[in-house]
Amino acid sequence: MTEERPAAPPKIEARGVCKVFESPRGRVRAIDGIDLVARPGEFISIVGPSGCGKSTFLYIVGGFVEASGGTLTVDGAPVQRPDPSRGIVFQEFVLFPWKTVLGNVMYGLAERGVPRRERREQAQAYIDMVHLSGFEKHYPKELSGGMKQRVALARTLIMDPDILLMDEPFGAIDAQTRVVLQTELLQIWERTKKTVLFVTHSVEEALYLSDRIYVLSGRPSRVREVIDVDLPRPRDSEAIVGTPRYGELHRRVWSLLQAEQRGDGASS
Amino acid sequence: MAQAPDAGTPARLGSRLAASAPALVLPILSVAILLGLWQVAPRAGWVRATSIPPFSEVMTQVWALLGEPEFWTNLAGSAQRWAIGFALAIIVGVPLGTMMGRWRPLYRLVDPLLVVGYPVPKAALILLFVLWWGAGNASRIVIIVAGCLIPIVISSYHGAHGIEPRLLWSARGLGTGRVGSWFRVVLPAALPQILSGLRLGIAISIFTLLASELLIRGIGIGSFMFTALDNGQTLVVFAMATILAVIGFALDFLYMRAVRRWLPWLEGDV
Repeated sequence: MTEERPAAPPKIEARGVCKVFESPRGRVRAIDGIDLVARPGEFISIVGPSGCGKSTFLYIVGGFVEASGGTLTVDGAPVQRPDPSRGIVFQEFVLFPWKTVLGNVMYGLAERGVPRRERREQAQAYIDMVHLSGFEKHYPKELSGGMKQRVALARTLIMDPDILLMDEPFGAIDAQTRVVLQTELLQIWERTKKTVLFVTHSVEEALYLSDRIYVLSGRPSRVREVIDVDLPRPRDSEAIVGTPRYGELHRRVWSLLQAEQRGDGASS
Repeated sequence: MAQAPDAGTPARLGSRLAASAPALVLPILSVAILLGLWQVAPRAGWVRATSIPPFSEVMTQVWALLGEPEFWTNLAGSAQRWAIGFALAIIVGVPLGTMMGRWRPLYRLVDPLLVVGYPVPKAALILLFVLWWGAGNASRIVIIVAGCLIPIVISSYHGAHGIEPRLLWSARGLGTGRVGSWFRVVLPAALPQILSGLRLGIAISIFTLLASELLIRGIGIGSFMFTALDNGQTLVVFAMATILAVIGFALDFLYMRAVRRWLPWLEGDV
């Protein structure tokens, strides 16, 4: 059950965050002022038409891309650079190809100066958690897409980040594996209560996973609507699909997205 | 992306063997025909045996050469100069190229020099180097560096320039600083292309090494070969050329084997 905690200070707070890209052909306004609040432990999805800048917004929260305007704070402090407390998982499996599964998962702990023995033990625990026991010595090129994404998740989670930023993490994975990974992610989230910002283009995925969905408009993007996903937890990916409330929410998000894709939402 | 899981079943193994039979036989066949012609043509009088001695006589001469201390001294000297020159080119070229790939001002500064320098036939520089530094080791090493530096710089540049930004972000997000990411992400991520550049560098540097020794004379395996030519010992020249060809082939082969063995994570060819 989602408990209402209106008093909790925001974990992530974006006010009027915008992004303008300078290119030889002129200035491109990608993000036109996004307001977003994520409270500790919330699972928030960001959906929007393709190319609307939802990934760019995630990169700004990560500290990889600088905002052109507005304020963005995490725990009340402005974001200036990447930090292991804000872990990120990308859509393509950007593992270190020269490291084994074990080496990838241990990487961050080595950067933190954790002794080798301890790194190994911790990494093993996380490898077991994402069900990759037995693949410790494999290189990324020997893994399937779903397995690579499990490694990426373990590599990020081992740093014990407060915030998990996920950039369409399951977008390039086949449908069956995707459901399995979504369910595992939910279990991990329910156990660790991390704050999650999850960018996706799938309405079903957003409904299954999130507490709230931010629907962005087409480029230059703004928040079109924020939708509370008041489906009871823990959720069952198959059972919720049949409920009337799911149907209502799905229609609502879908029609917003369709309108944005056609471009007739821009005038509102 | 995923592994082929069923390559080991008997039916597949059989059909794979059948399919690979021409792949095994045909290359051997072409080499055998070439060597056969080399043996038969002088014997049959199609070519003069003084110009192209038969394969069997060349091999006998190779054997004789391998017993001569003078041959080994010259070969060792050349190999040493080559190793020093090649190492220098790596020490300068890889850091320079990768830094150019990550830092635009350095690229803009150095790139015009590469563009101008690339098509210059390096062998033509040998005489200039001799003019400046004499006919000793310095000129001979510098010409090897000159031969392979540019390919190494260019491949290192491309390797570092083409790195997926999110790979760097992943490392930065896991706590790696800017300097650390150069060693722990940029260098290994650029490695496949750096290794291709080195492979090219091996071939070019051996060429410039021999060219310099044929021109400067005095010492070295190229000079040893030229002396034989002067003395009209065609057979020795052929034997030397054969040995050098084998050395070149072996270096390339061993290089590829070493890369495969020590870098099992590499995808595709170097």
